[in-house]
Amino acid sequence: MFWKRLFTSVPSLEAQEVKDYMAQHREGTYDLIDVRQPGEYEKAHLPGARLIPLPELANVLDQLDREKPIIVY
Amino acid sequence: MAAQLLIGQGFKEVYNFKGGIMSWQGLTAFGPVELNLDLIRGDEAPAEMIEIAFGLEGALQKFYLTVINLVSDSQTVALLKNLVAVEEKHQQMLLHEYAQIKNLDADAPQVLVNQLPEILEGGFRFSEFFSQNQEVMQTVSGVLDLALMLEIQALDLYLRFAFKTMEASTQKVLFDLADQEKAHLSSLGKLAGTKN
Repeated sequence: MFWKRLFTSVPSLEAQEVKDYMAQHREGTYDLIDVRQPGEYEKAHLPGARLIPLPELANVLDQLDREKPIIVY
Repeated sequence: MAAQLLIGQGFKEVYNFKGGIMSWQGLTAFGPVELNLDLIRGDEAPAEMIEIAFGLEGALQKFYLTVINLVSDSQTVALLKNLVAVEEKHQQMLLHEYAQIKNLDADAPQVLVNQLPEILEGGFRFSEFFSQNQEVMQTVSGVLDLALMLEIQALDLYLRFAFKTMEASTQKVLFDLADQEKAHLSSLGKLAGTKN
């Protein structure tokens, strides 16, 4: 049932865990997605993060790999 | 919210970065998405991408070499020499890969060596960057800060190149380059940690 998914808990990572994850995984094996606004991304972003502002996310899902792990912020 | 949306849409493994960038202790990259993306077209074959990266690495190496001549502190000189050596190593790996792709003798691609662009790895213009940072480069901590910043920007640029690239084999070249930058960053970060 779809409504159940709305309450699914999402695994989360703390900053240090994200850092470790990035250090331990090869590039190309995961996606890092920055859903903030372009101005925020421009000031500071995690290296290699892909900017997809939240309002646009639903429109570009087909460009992302559903099998790849994703870290989102 | 974004993470829930992705999970709801069938993405298999999604993590929410709790605290986001505000909680990030490490270095970050800066600049808009399109920064220096005009250095590539997006349809480059692996060999051409290696040529581009080789030029960027070479220009950065030349930058460090130029600074060495202007620095008197021996520890700073030693660090700069180490940075030059790392760029040289990256270039050797690229040459090796290039020779394999092009089916050449490993010594043959001399043509690459002479193509140094005005742009440093990470996307900075040589002359401008040099005049802006000459003073900072006189101390070990100044050089370390600058090198860390350059490497972060380089990592970010190679990955943005990868997003723009359509060829999977060329993306692979870029992901490998990014992995090398990550390894270099990690050792530089450790060095910076011991100095601070």
